[in-house]
Amino acid sequence: MPIKWILHWQPNAGTTVNTQILSEVSQCAESINGVKEGRWKTILSFYRAMVREQGSANEFPRDFVGISLAEQPSKYFLVIRGQRVVVEAESNIQMIMEKLQSYKTRFVLTFEGNQYQLGDFQLRVGKVVPTHSESLRGIVMEMEYQPISSWEKSHQIMGEFFDLWQEALSKRSLQGHFVHLEPNFTEYGLSDQYTLQHTAVQYASITAQMISTAQTVQPNRN
Amino acid sequence: MQQQAAAPTQSAPPQDATAATGDAPPKQVAQALERLGQAGRLIADVRLGADRLLEGLFFVAAEPHQQSSSKFINLILREDSLMRRHLHDLRTIGRQLEESGVLTDSLRSRSNSWGLHMPLVCPDGAVVAYAWKRQLAGQAGASAVDRTRLALKAFTDQKKRFFLHLADDSVVESAKKKHCSPRAMNSQEEIGDQRTLADILLGLEKEVPNLQAFTHQRLDWLKQATSLTSAANESSLKNPSFPSSSKLRQGSVSISTGDKAAVIELLVPCVFRAVVSLHTAGSMDPDAVAFFSPDEGGSYLHARGFSLHHVYRHVSEHASMALQYFISSSPETALHCLLHWVCSYQSLFTKVCSKCGKLLSMDKQSGVLLPPVWRPFRSFTPTNNPQKSSSNGSNCSLDLISAFHISCFSDKA
Repeated sequence: MPIKWILHWQPNAGTTVNTQILSEVSQCAESINGVKEGRWKTILSFYRAMVREQGSANEFPRDFVGISLAEQPSKYFLVIRGQRVVVEAESNIQMIMEKLQSYKTRFVLTFEGNQYQLGDFQLRVGKVVPTHSESLRGIVMEMEYQPISSWEKSHQIMGEFFDLWQEALSKRSLQGHFVHLEPNFTEYGLSDQYTLQHTAVQYASITAQMISTAQTVQPNRN
Repeated sequence: MQQQAAAPTQSAPPQDATAATGDAPPKQVAQALERLGQAGRLIADVRLGADRLLEGLFFVAAEPHQQSSSKFINLILREDSLMRRHLHDLRTIGRQLEESGVLTDSLRSRSNSWGLHMPLVCPDGAVVAYAWKRQLAGQAGASAVDRTRLALKAFTDQKKRFFLHLADDSVVESAKKKHCSPRAMNSQEEIGDQRTLADILLGLEKEVPNLQAFTHQRLDWLKQATSLTSAANESSLKNPSFPSSSKLRQGSVSISTGDKAAVIELLVPCVFRAVVSLHTAGSMDPDAVAFFSPDEGGSYLHARGFSLHHVYRHVSEHASMALQYFISSSPETALHCLLHWVCSYQSLFTKVCSKCGKLLSMDKQSGVLLPPVWRPFRSFTPTNNPQKSSSNGSNCSLDLISAFHISCFSDKA
């Protein structure tokens, strides 16, 4: 399947994300001949293990997330970053976990926004909000190149597109920039051929990054 | 030829049980075959007309004198009106064929087809005819002997028309003689050494390490192309260490002399899949080429098809021009040159443009970001000695070919 880079917005020191930045980014996508196609939504949930004994609570990882991706609503992806584990399951796993009372959702984030087609590239610009809330926590972007599915082969062309994008965005003088973090997919047991599991791992990574950035800025939050 | 196919229908029983929807199946099949024959004749007329037009244009360009040019201008005008009429007739027949289900294979699901099948026209233009079957399906008036005799006659005619390589030896001999004489006069002896398709493909695989080359018969390729989508979906979910289904595919470089290849597939994993069709099965004359993503699959994946992605569509367009150039400049080595030139696209997503030095550029005409999709073909000469190139390091000659964005190339010219 086509390769995808997922980027997140890094605000300049002392600033925060706001909806103005989001609309500027969307306009930038349209200015480079992007055609708005529709909307997309991805949901990421943090899970907490439900344990009987208090002592053993620390044995369970705290960074266990479950992701429902826009492209494949029938699947659910579970990622534990600390142990470099990614698992693809059917979407009814959520119901199973709930019925078994084994894991409970701690916190849920929604990534949603518009999608743009630029020739063979597809861009998704989205806001990051906690579910049932309107407070903007971040901005993400998905950059997809449809002809190729090899991570390695596409690296050069994606890098150039990323540079082109940054250049177009820099003309708008926004307080921040997009960052691309590349997780080490081999550590997760993933191959060079891109899959939805790669996307899940990228989402888990950027969420962790966004949270740690937010916590350094405002340590009393959450 | 059409008379022979149409004649057996006259012995069909007069009281055809006409279904509520129209003619009985035998008549529909006969009509469909007749129309296909007409379409074939019209296509031949269009081709001839195009040749005459081009001839006229060449003469006018070469000798711009008043007297001869007016003669050729009249010829061009006449051919133009003839061509338009042929194309109009072709369109009409195409519509009729579509309605009768020939091009879409929709009639197979009908229950009262008497076990007869409409001829199927594959997406890449090959026709699979089952006309002889209608003779065996039963024509109430004729006796068993008559029916068998008519079936044999119809089958032999079909065989002669559609399966030329199984035809009489005399036909094959004369075709071979035509091929041999230009080759003897060929001064490029090293390319002449690679006489068979297998030689060319083996040489290519040695020169280009990542390349996988396959040959297919025309219908086999259609089946293969349709099965590619399911293979692509499966491999994305599989464990990476599991052997991919592509290794188990049919078709190989080492074709035996019995198999007559009609389609060549060149696959550079993760970069492109190129499909080249040969004019007649077993020949060395390419007549179409198209590029696709290695992840694409479906019945539209053939030498005259179009990829879903902009980048491959542009490459296909450029490749068609290269093919015409290779055919017109040196027909004997056209396939060899084309296949080598196609392999230069292994660097499609890595080689920067030789003019602007960048990989991505916005194409002004289509408004789409593209890598350098043009590789020059006019001065292209493939290396004939695979040993020489491998000693210098793999595929160095193909690496030296420059790449251009569309607008960069036209600015340079």
